[in-house]
Amino acid sequence: MTKTHDIGDVSNDGTGTMRDNYKGYLFILPALLMLVVILGFPALAAFLQSFNLMWVAKPGFSLGAYRALVDDAEFLHSLFNTVVFVVVVVSSHLVVGLSIALLLNMDIKFKWMWRVVAILPWTMPDVIGGLVWRFMFDTLPGIVNSVLLRTHLTTEPVDWLGQPGLAFFAVILAESWRGYPYVMLILLAGLQSIPRQQYEAAELDGCSALQKFMYVTMPNLKHMFIISLVLDTVWESRLFGMVYSMTGGGPGYSSQILTLLSYKQYFQFFNVSYGAAMAVVLATVLFFISLPYLRLSMRQQI
Amino acid sequence: MFTSLAKRLTLGVGAAMVAGTIACGSGPATAQTVITYADWQLAQDIWGRSLREAFAEFEKQNPGIKINVEPVALAQRDIKFATAIRAGAGPDVFALDANPVKQYIAEGWVKDLTPFVDKEGGKKFLSDFYPRSLEPVTENGKVYGIPKNIVAMVMVYNEVMFKEAGITKVPETWDEFRVAMKKLTKATTAGGPIDQWGWTIVAAQAGFDLRSSVILRGFGADFLTPDWKKSALDTPQAKEAFKFIVDTIHEDKTMPPGVAQVDANAARRLLANKKTAVKIGTTWSLPEVSGMNPALDGWNVLKMAHIPQKKLDDKSVRSTLYQKSLFMNPNTKNPEAAWKLIKFMSDPPQMAKWFDDNLMLSARQSVNVSHKPITSSPYALTVAQEINRSAFLPLIPKWPEILETFRRNLQDAIAKSKTPDEALTNAHNQINAILARP
Repeated sequence: MTKTHDIGDVSNDGTGTMRDNYKGYLFILPALLMLVVILGFPALAAFLQSFNLMWVAKPGFSLGAYRALVDDAEFLHSLFNTVVFVVVVVSSHLVVGLSIALLLNMDIKFKWMWRVVAILPWTMPDVIGGLVWRFMFDTLPGIVNSVLLRTHLTTEPVDWLGQPGLAFFAVILAESWRGYPYVMLILLAGLQSIPRQQYEAAELDGCSALQKFMYVTMPNLKHMFIISLVLDTVWESRLFGMVYSMTGGGPGYSSQILTLLSYKQYFQFFNVSYGAAMAVVLATVLFFISLPYLRLSMRQQI
Repeated sequence: MFTSLAKRLTLGVGAAMVAGTIACGSGPATAQTVITYADWQLAQDIWGRSLREAFAEFEKQNPGIKINVEPVALAQRDIKFATAIRAGAGPDVFALDANPVKQYIAEGWVKDLTPFVDKEGGKKFLSDFYPRSLEPVTENGKVYGIPKNIVAMVMVYNEVMFKEAGITKVPETWDEFRVAMKKLTKATTAGGPIDQWGWTIVAAQAGFDLRSSVILRGFGADFLTPDWKKSALDTPQAKEAFKFIVDTIHEDKTMPPGVAQVDANAARRLLANKKTAVKIGTTWSLPEVSGMNPALDGWNVLKMAHIPQKKLDDKSVRSTLYQKSLFMNPNTKNPEAAWKLIKFMSDPPQMAKWFDDNLMLSARQSVNVSHKPITSSPYALTVAQEINRSAFLPLIPKWPEILETFRRNLQDAIAKSKTPDEALTNAHNQINAILARP
């Protein structure tokens, strides 16, 4: 007797027939095409542009853009700023995100409301967030100076965004606030998946709260921590809107990060090869940073 | 099963396409040509209204052409245009100031308008425009844009605040200017903190070029050598101008704190709210500042004067020219309609309207000498006189990068990260490195 197959029909070994597999590919084809067009094409275009091969006034293979990067003090300074920015912001996200995730995981009243409140900064687009913080730090009408002056903590308005150290600090503070909910959500999901029996067993063994945190919570959160760390590092490394709208990378070059420099070279100075080369370098570094996450995800799938 | 699913999908997509076509109203029923016009001034109330009125008139005169307007923020203008034009799209007609034009020409992002100009009479058609206004839009004898407005930067000041501060003579030299700014800086309430300052420069990106360049030029300096091949920031005049800016901020404290964040709009707002008494601007400052705070009574209170100088007998360039020109996208499918619009917008009646609405002088000589409101306006007179002592900023593709390098170093000096001399030397060396690049 011949067995016929329809959509969704799989053979007994669960592998399905060849025809079913083709149908599966057909269904994911639109999404795949969208990915190729939306992500793949710009990536390929940037790669080709960095070698002066596409969308340039005089095309011709050249490594000039990459060679120039090595001697460019502004590029190296922006790279350094990016590393400092990412390390400080991601660290603050992990500390604040974990702290608030722990609070929201406790049995508290109106838990749903606190969760909504905690996630609010994440709902704000980074450009808008940057503008809001810029107004807050504005020298004359800004609320930060207003509070400082009224409480007599300072006698003159502080030029928050006009002083190099303060401007960089202000940007870091603003992004620490805006981005922590992402980490918090991942860690909260991790906390909720820890079996209660482990805590009960620890309590039976007479563990203190700190010991339960160190020996039950933290080991169970290890994978989620790695995921948060990697994803947030990638996310913050490619941040643009918050810094652009708050300081534009200034004063001088003090808060300029790589994405801003790449944007400037590409869109303001029309040095497309050079701007693209910076983007390719950043993307390559981020690819290697994301390897632990990819390995972890693939291992879980297997 | 699969065949039937595919049929259903095909039918569905086909129906959706038909519905979409009907909904969009395209098809043989409408023979109207639609062209798109993009301009940063569309995003601002007063200018935008004036432009829309002009388009309504154009559509009345050309019933077969409809104009879709595309406002674009000034900061996003080049990004939007460049990306769209590279991708084979973009507005049919768009406006640019003089700064990026040479880049657009070098990249092939603007259409050569010479054939259209030739049809209108070639040299005769162009003869009405100021010869200088054609410099930014012409390359190797080809005309890529049609100039619309040209103005020079001047000093805009609040006459009432000047009188209140006991300033009876408008400063003509930088020394006089400095004294006047100190008189204007004060606490408006007895015993209170200082809440009124003399002036402010624009140190943020938007508007920096036109407003800060005049200080350099007013001291007899400039960014580049006359051939635009090398930096000219190593001259004593440049050092003096640079130090002047920094000293008025830190020593005189005649600018409000936070100057690094002040862009053109913020400077207008400070003047509108009587936080400052002086700004560098031009004819557009009046409608803009007056619109921000009608209580100021800007049309009566604000006056214009020439850019101060180091020495009164110096007859060299002291100010900067601003020009708005109209361009055609090389990707346009309707070049004839696009040219009609460009011509309409740059014809004398629309130039005259632009002055009536926005106080902007025309790039056509005939309009400026014959339009009564222009010839009788003291503002127009001041600006027109200043045009003779002004020059364009360097018309080279690397100019935006050079300007930004200068601005960043000035910000470093303002933030005291570098001394004025260090910052200027740094800018000089960086600019020479940029110019030395192929």
